[in-house]
Amino acid sequence: MRRVEQVMGLPISVDLVDREPELADAVERAFAWLRAADARFSPFRADSEVSRLDRGELAEDELSPDLAEVLGLCSSYEEATGGAFTARLPGRGLDPCAVVKGWAVQRAAGVLADAGARNFCVNAGGDVVTAGSPGGGRPWRVGVRHPDLADRVCVVLESRDGAVATSALYERGQHVRDGRTGLPARGLLSVTVVAPDLTTADATATAAFALGADGVAWAAARPGCEVFAVDSERRVLRTPALPVAA
Amino acid sequence: MRRAVPVLLLTVAGLVPLWRFEARPASTSGTAAVAEAPAGARTVDGELISTSEGDVQVRVVYSGDEIVAVQMLKQPDSGPTRRAVPILQEETLRAQSADVDTVSGATATSEGYIASLQSVLDGRG
Repeated sequence: MRRVEQVMGLPISVDLVDREPELADAVERAFAWLRAADARFSPFRADSEVSRLDRGELAEDELSPDLAEVLGLCSSYEEATGGAFTARLPGRGLDPCAVVKGWAVQRAAGVLADAGARNFCVNAGGDVVTAGSPGGGRPWRVGVRHPDLADRVCVVLESRDGAVATSALYERGQHVRDGRTGLPARGLLSVTVVAPDLTTADATATAAFALGADGVAWAAARPGCEVFAVDSERRVLRTPALPVAA
Repeated sequence: MRRAVPVLLLTVAGLVPLWRFEARPASTSGTAAVAEAPAGARTVDGELISTSEGDVQVRVVYSGDEIVAVQMLKQPDSGPTRRAVPILQEETLRAQSADVDTVSGATATSEGYIASLQSVLDGRG
Protein backbone atom coordinates (compact mmCIF):
# COMPACT_ATOMS: atom_id res chain seq x y z
CA MET A 1 0.00 0.00 0.00
CA ARG A 2 1.05 3.56 -0.66
CA ARG A 3 -0.08 6.60 1.26
CA VAL A 4 0.90 10.28 1.06
CA GLU A 5 0.02 12.93 3.60
CA GLN A 6 1.15 16.51 4.12
CA VAL A 7 2.74 16.75 7.60
CA MET A 8 5.32 19.24 8.95
CA GLY A 9 4.81 21.22 5.74
CA LEU A 10 6.13 18.26 3.77
CA PRO A 11 4.62 15.58 1.61
CA ILE A 12 5.39 12.34 3.46
CA SER A 13 4.84 9.08 1.61
CA VAL A 14 4.83 5.56 2.97
CA ASP A 15 5.30 2.68 0.55
CA LEU A 16 4.56 -0.53 2.44
CA VAL A 17 5.36 -3.73 0.55
CA ASP A 18 4.20 -6.18 3.23
CA ARG A 19 0.58 -7.29 2.82
CA GLU A 20 -0.45 -8.23 6.38
CA PRO A 21 -3.79 -6.46 7.07
CA GLU A 22 -2.80 -5.41 10.60
CA LEU A 23 0.03 -3.29 9.18
CA ALA A 24 -2.47 -0.78 7.78
CA ASP A 25 -3.12 0.22 11.38
CA ALA A 26 0.63 0.69 11.93
CA VAL A 27 0.73 3.10 8.97
CA GLU A 28 -2.07 5.09 10.66
CA ARG A 29 -0.08 5.16 13.90
CA ALA A 30 3.08 6.26 12.07
CA PHE A 31 1.25 9.25 10.54
CA ALA A 32 -0.39 10.01 13.90
CA TRP A 33 3.09 10.10 15.49
CA LEU A 34 4.32 12.51 12.78
CA ARG A 35 1.35 14.85 13.33
CA ALA A 36 1.96 14.71 17.09
CA ALA A 37 5.68 15.44 16.60
CA ASP A 38 4.76 18.46 14.46
CA ALA A 39 2.35 19.74 17.11
CA ARG A 40 4.95 19.36 19.86
CA PHE A 41 8.13 20.53 18.12
CA SER A 42 7.10 23.05 15.46
CA PRO A 43 8.45 26.56 16.09
CA PHE A 44 5.61 27.81 13.87
CA ARG A 45 2.91 26.76 16.36
CA ALA A 46 2.56 29.09 19.32
CA ASP A 47 1.36 26.29 21.62
CA SER A 48 4.15 23.80 20.78
CA GLU A 49 6.60 22.65 23.43
CA VAL A 50 9.41 24.31 21.44
CA SER A 51 7.60 27.68 21.35
CA ARG A 52 6.79 27.49 25.06
CA LEU A 53 10.43 26.71 25.88
CA ASP A 54 11.55 29.60 23.71
CA ARG A 55 9.19 32.00 25.54
CA GLY A 56 10.62 30.86 28.87
CA GLU A 57 7.40 29.10 29.93
CA LEU A 58 9.14 25.76 30.45
CA ALA A 59 12.02 25.17 32.82
CA GLU A 60 14.86 22.88 31.75
CA ASP A 61 13.58 20.15 34.08
CA GLU A 62 10.09 20.38 32.57
CA LEU A 63 11.22 19.33 29.09
CA SER A 64 9.85 16.07 27.76
CA PRO A 65 12.49 13.35 27.24
CA ASP A 66 11.82 13.62 23.49
CA LEU A 67 12.55 17.35 23.34
CA ALA A 68 15.59 16.90 25.57
CA GLU A 69 16.84 14.28 23.09
CA VAL A 70 16.24 16.60 20.11
CA LEU A 71 17.99 19.53 21.81
CA GLY A 72 20.88 17.24 22.75
CA LEU A 73 21.24 16.22 19.10
CA CYS A 74 21.15 19.88 18.03
CA SER A 75 23.93 20.72 20.52
CA SER A 76 26.14 17.85 19.44
CA TYR A 77 25.91 18.82 15.73
CA GLU A 78 26.42 22.47 16.58
CA GLU A 79 29.57 21.59 18.49
CA ALA A 80 30.81 19.22 15.74
CA THR A 81 30.45 21.95 13.08
CA GLY A 82 31.87 24.87 15.03
CA GLY A 83 28.44 26.50 15.04
CA ALA A 84 27.70 26.25 11.29
CA PHE A 85 24.76 24.00 12.18
CA THR A 86 22.56 25.66 14.76
CA ALA A 87 19.04 25.46 16.12
CA ARG A 88 19.21 29.13 17.08
CA LEU A 89 20.25 31.54 14.33
CA PRO A 90 21.20 35.05 15.44
CA GLY A 91 18.08 37.18 15.89
CA ARG A 92 15.69 34.27 15.53
CA GLY A 93 13.82 31.94 17.82
CA LEU A 94 14.62 28.36 18.67
CA ASP A 95 14.18 26.21 15.55
CA PRO A 96 15.20 22.55 15.90
CA CYS A 97 13.47 21.61 12.59
CA ALA A 98 16.72 20.45 10.99
CA VAL A 99 16.98 17.66 13.57
CA VAL A 100 13.27 17.08 14.27
CA LYS A 101 12.38 16.03 10.75
CA GLY A 102 14.89 13.18 10.38
CA TRP A 103 14.42 12.13 13.98
CA ALA A 104 10.60 12.07 13.77
CA VAL A 105 10.55 10.21 10.45
CA GLN A 106 13.03 7.63 11.76
CA ARG A 107 10.70 7.12 14.72
CA ALA A 108 7.76 6.71 12.35
CA ALA A 109 9.74 4.01 10.53
CA GLY A 110 10.29 2.43 13.95
CA VAL A 111 6.51 2.32 14.49
CA LEU A 112 6.19 0.30 11.25
CA ALA A 113 9.11 -2.00 12.13
CA ASP A 114 7.79 -2.60 15.68
CA ALA A 115 4.45 -3.68 14.19
CA GLY A 116 6.27 -6.29 12.12
CA ALA A 117 6.75 -4.47 8.80
CA ARG A 118 9.98 -5.62 7.15
CA ASN A 119 9.79 -4.11 3.67
CA PHE A 120 8.90 -0.45 3.32
CA CYS A 121 10.09 2.97 2.27
CA VAL A 122 9.21 6.26 3.95
CA ASN A 123 10.02 9.43 2.00
CA ALA A 124 9.61 12.75 3.83
CA GLY A 125 10.17 15.58 1.38
CA GLY A 126 13.16 13.81 -0.14
CA ASP A 127 14.61 12.29 3.02
CA VAL A 128 14.28 8.54 2.86
CA VAL A 129 14.21 5.57 5.26
CA THR A 130 14.14 2.11 3.70
CA ALA A 131 13.70 -1.38 5.09
CA GLY A 132 14.18 -4.70 3.34
CA SER A 133 13.32 -4.81 -0.33
CA PRO A 134 10.68 -3.42 -2.71
CA GLY A 135 10.32 -6.96 -4.08
CA GLY A 136 12.30 -9.88 -5.41
CA GLY A 137 14.92 -9.48 -2.70
CA ARG A 138 16.65 -6.59 -4.45
CA PRO A 139 17.58 -3.43 -2.55
CA TRP A 140 15.58 -0.20 -2.82
CA ARG A 141 16.83 2.05 -5.61
CA VAL A 142 17.05 5.61 -4.31
CA GLY A 143 17.67 8.26 -6.96
CA VAL A 144 19.34 11.52 -5.93
CA ARG A 145 17.70 14.50 -7.57
CA HIS A 146 19.89 16.33 -10.08
CA PRO A 147 20.60 19.80 -8.64
CA ASP A 148 19.56 21.57 -11.86
CA LEU A 149 16.97 19.24 -13.38
CA ALA A 150 13.92 18.40 -11.26
CA ASP A 151 12.97 15.40 -13.40
CA ARG A 152 16.43 13.79 -13.51
CA VAL A 153 18.61 12.01 -10.99
CA CYS A 154 22.40 12.34 -10.82
CA VAL A 155 23.12 9.03 -9.10
CA VAL A 156 21.14 5.97 -8.01
CA LEU A 157 21.93 4.51 -4.58
CA GLU A 158 21.03 1.11 -3.18
CA SER A 159 19.56 0.81 0.30
CA ARG A 160 18.18 -2.08 2.35
CA ASP A 161 17.81 -1.17 6.04
CA GLY A 162 19.14 2.38 5.98
CA ALA A 163 18.56 6.04 5.24
CA VAL A 164 19.38 8.62 2.58
CA ALA A 165 19.04 12.38 3.14
CA THR A 166 19.80 15.31 0.86
CA SER A 167 20.30 18.97 1.71
CA ALA A 168 20.34 21.20 -1.34
CA LEU A 169 19.69 24.56 -2.91
CA TYR A 170 17.55 24.20 -6.03
CA GLU A 171 15.32 27.23 -5.91
CA ARG A 172 15.58 30.78 -4.70
CA GLY A 173 14.26 31.50 -1.25
CA GLN A 174 14.93 28.00 0.00
CA HIS A 175 18.16 27.70 1.90
CA VAL A 176 20.14 26.46 4.84
CA ARG A 177 21.89 29.21 6.78
CA ASP A 178 25.44 29.07 8.09
CA GLY A 179 25.09 29.60 11.84
CA ARG A 180 28.56 31.17 11.97
CA THR A 181 27.48 34.08 9.74
CA GLY A 182 23.67 33.93 9.71
CA LEU A 183 23.91 34.10 5.89
CA PRO A 184 22.80 31.46 3.38
CA ALA A 185 25.37 28.67 3.23
CA ARG A 186 27.63 28.72 0.15
CA GLY A 187 29.88 26.28 -1.61
CA LEU A 188 27.57 23.31 -2.24
CA LEU A 189 24.55 22.82 -4.47
CA SER A 190 23.60 19.48 -3.00
CA VAL A 191 24.91 17.03 -0.43
CA THR A 192 23.50 13.56 0.12
CA VAL A 193 24.35 11.39 3.11
CA VAL A 194 23.74 7.65 3.43
CA ALA A 195 23.65 6.45 7.05
CA PRO A 196 22.15 3.60 9.08
CA ASP A 197 19.33 5.88 10.32
CA LEU A 198 17.63 9.06 9.09
CA THR A 199 18.34 11.00 12.29
CA THR A 200 22.05 10.77 11.44
CA ALA A 201 21.67 11.11 7.65
CA ASP A 202 19.44 14.21 7.79
CA ALA A 203 21.36 16.10 10.47
CA THR A 204 24.70 15.26 8.83
CA ALA A 205 23.50 16.40 5.40
CA THR A 206 22.13 19.66 6.79
CA ALA A 207 25.26 20.30 8.84
CA ALA A 208 27.52 19.55 5.84
CA PHE A 209 25.50 21.94 3.67
CA ALA A 210 25.80 24.66 6.34
CA LEU A 211 29.57 24.12 6.47
CA GLY A 212 29.85 24.62 2.69
CA ALA A 213 32.77 23.19 0.71
CA ASP A 214 34.46 21.92 3.90
CA GLY A 215 31.30 20.02 4.76
CA VAL A 216 31.99 17.22 2.29
CA ALA A 217 35.13 15.95 4.01
CA TRP A 218 33.53 16.64 7.37
CA ALA A 219 30.53 14.44 6.57
CA ALA A 220 32.78 11.76 5.02
CA ALA A 221 34.59 11.47 8.34
CA ARG A 222 31.41 11.01 10.40
CA PRO A 223 31.00 7.40 11.60
CA GLY A 224 28.72 5.30 9.39
CA CYS A 225 28.21 8.03 6.79
CA GLU A 226 28.79 7.85 3.01
CA VAL A 227 28.59 11.07 1.01
CA PHE A 228 27.68 12.27 -2.49
CA ALA A 229 28.07 16.04 -2.99
CA VAL A 230 27.79 18.48 -5.88
CA ASP A 231 29.73 21.69 -5.31
CA SER A 232 28.95 25.10 -6.77
CA GLU A 233 31.34 24.35 -9.67
CA ARG A 234 29.15 21.29 -10.38
CA ARG A 235 31.92 18.87 -9.46
CA VAL A 236 30.86 15.65 -7.80
CA LEU A 237 32.75 14.51 -4.70
CA ARG A 238 31.88 11.18 -3.15
CA THR A 239 33.18 8.60 -0.72
CA PRO A 240 34.56 5.41 -2.27
CA ALA A 241 32.17 3.12 -0.35
CA LEU A 242 29.00 4.99 -1.42
CA PRO A 243 26.45 2.26 -2.36
CA VAL A 244 25.98 3.23 -6.02
CA ALA A 245 23.54 1.00 -7.93
CA ALA A 246 24.89 -0.82 -10.96
CA MET B 1 65.00 10.31 -2.73
CA ARG B 2 67.13 10.80 0.35
CA ARG B 3 65.41 14.02 1.40
CA ALA B 4 62.03 12.42 0.93
CA VAL B 5 62.47 10.00 3.83
CA PRO B 6 62.26 12.54 6.70
CA VAL B 7 59.13 14.00 5.11
CA LEU B 8 57.49 10.60 5.10
CA LEU B 9 58.48 9.91 8.69
CA LEU B 10 57.09 13.26 9.78
CA THR B 11 53.84 12.55 8.00
CA VAL B 12 53.41 9.18 9.66
CA ALA B 13 54.56 10.50 13.03
CA GLY B 14 51.89 13.16 12.73
CA LEU B 15 49.17 10.55 12.39
CA VAL B 16 50.21 8.23 15.20
CA PRO B 17 48.97 10.45 18.07
CA LEU B 18 45.57 10.45 16.42
CA TRP B 19 45.30 6.69 16.79
CA ARG B 20 46.61 6.80 20.31
CA PHE B 21 43.97 9.38 21.13
CA GLU B 22 41.22 6.79 20.72
CA ALA B 23 40.90 4.70 23.88
CA ARG B 24 38.77 1.84 22.60
CA PRO B 25 40.42 -1.01 20.71
CA ALA B 26 39.85 -0.87 17.00
CA SER B 27 40.13 -3.41 14.26
CA THR B 28 42.41 -2.85 11.32
CA SER B 29 40.83 -2.13 8.00
CA GLY B 30 42.57 -3.10 4.79
CA THR B 31 40.01 -1.41 2.61
CA ALA B 32 41.43 2.09 2.45
CA ALA B 33 40.92 3.18 -1.12
CA VAL B 34 44.02 3.97 -3.11
CA ALA B 35 43.72 6.65 -5.75
CA GLU B 36 45.23 6.06 -9.18
CA ALA B 37 48.78 7.36 -9.30
CA PRO B 38 49.27 10.07 -11.91
CA ALA B 39 51.13 9.19 -15.12
CA GLY B 40 54.89 9.12 -14.69
CA ALA B 41 54.59 8.72 -10.94
CA ARG B 42 56.36 6.01 -8.96
CA THR B 43 54.94 4.39 -5.86
CA VAL B 44 56.83 2.91 -2.93
CA ASP B 45 55.04 0.90 -0.27
CA GLY B 46 56.18 1.25 3.32
CA GLU B 47 56.63 -1.65 5.71
CA LEU B 48 53.62 -2.94 7.64
CA ILE B 49 53.94 -1.41 11.12
CA SER B 50 52.01 -2.75 14.12
CA THR B 51 50.71 -0.20 16.59
CA SER B 52 48.63 -0.67 19.72
CA GLU B 53 45.59 0.37 17.68
CA GLY B 54 46.23 -1.86 14.66
CA ASP B 55 48.45 -2.21 11.61
CA VAL B 56 49.61 0.71 9.55
CA GLN B 57 51.03 0.70 6.05
CA VAL B 58 51.50 3.67 3.78
CA ARG B 59 52.22 4.10 0.08
CA VAL B 60 54.21 7.09 -1.09
CA VAL B 61 53.75 8.46 -4.58
CA TYR B 62 56.76 10.22 -6.10
CA SER B 63 56.95 12.44 -9.12
CA GLY B 64 60.71 12.52 -9.72
CA ASP B 65 62.18 13.04 -6.25
CA GLU B 66 59.14 14.84 -4.95
CA ILE B 67 56.46 13.25 -2.79
CA VAL B 68 53.11 14.06 -4.34
CA ALA B 69 50.90 11.88 -2.16
CA VAL B 70 50.93 9.64 0.88
CA GLN B 71 48.17 7.05 0.86
CA MET B 72 47.04 4.69 3.59
CA LEU B 73 47.20 1.03 2.52
CA LYS B 74 46.29 -0.15 5.99
CA GLN B 75 45.00 1.92 8.85
CA PRO B 76 43.35 1.23 12.20
CA ASP B 77 39.60 1.32 11.72
CA SER B 78 39.03 3.96 14.36
CA GLY B 79 37.12 7.22 14.21
CA PRO B 80 40.03 9.64 14.60
CA THR B 81 41.95 7.95 11.79
CA ARG B 82 38.99 8.25 9.46
CA ARG B 83 38.77 11.88 10.43
CA ALA B 84 42.48 12.35 9.78
CA VAL B 85 42.33 10.83 6.30
CA PRO B 86 38.99 11.47 4.60
CA ILE B 87 39.12 10.01 1.12
CA LEU B 88 36.95 11.51 -1.59
CA GLN B 89 36.64 10.66 -5.26
CA GLU B 90 35.93 13.33 -7.85
CA GLU B 91 33.50 12.63 -10.67
CA THR B 92 31.58 14.42 -13.38
CA LEU B 93 27.97 15.41 -12.70
CA ARG B 94 25.62 13.29 -14.79
CA ALA B 95 21.91 13.52 -15.51
CA GLN B 96 20.09 10.19 -15.64
CA SER B 97 16.52 9.10 -16.12
CA ALA B 98 17.03 5.78 -14.36
CA ASP B 99 14.38 3.47 -12.97
CA VAL B 100 14.17 4.23 -9.26
CA ASP B 101 11.84 3.35 -6.37
CA THR B 102 12.08 6.72 -4.63
CA VAL B 103 13.97 10.01 -4.87
CA SER B 104 16.12 11.80 -2.33
CA GLY B 105 16.23 15.57 -2.67
CA ALA B 106 15.50 18.73 -0.74
CA THR B 107 11.80 19.22 -1.29
CA ALA B 108 11.01 22.07 1.03
CA THR B 109 7.82 23.18 -0.66
CA SER B 110 4.84 21.33 -2.03
CA GLU B 111 5.28 23.33 -5.27
CA GLY B 112 8.71 21.77 -5.63
CA TYR B 113 7.25 18.41 -4.82
CA ILE B 114 4.57 18.60 -7.47
CA ALA B 115 7.28 19.25 -10.04
CA SER B 116 9.46 16.50 -8.74
CA LEU B 117 9.92 12.95 -9.75
CA GLN B 118 8.70 11.67 -6.40
CA SER B 119 5.19 12.88 -7.17
CA VAL B 120 5.21 10.70 -10.27
CA LEU B 121 6.31 7.71 -8.20
CA ASP B 122 3.66 8.36 -5.55
CA GLY B 123 0.99 8.52 -8.24
CA ARG B 124 2.09 5.20 -9.69
CA GLY B 125 1.19 2.93 -6.78
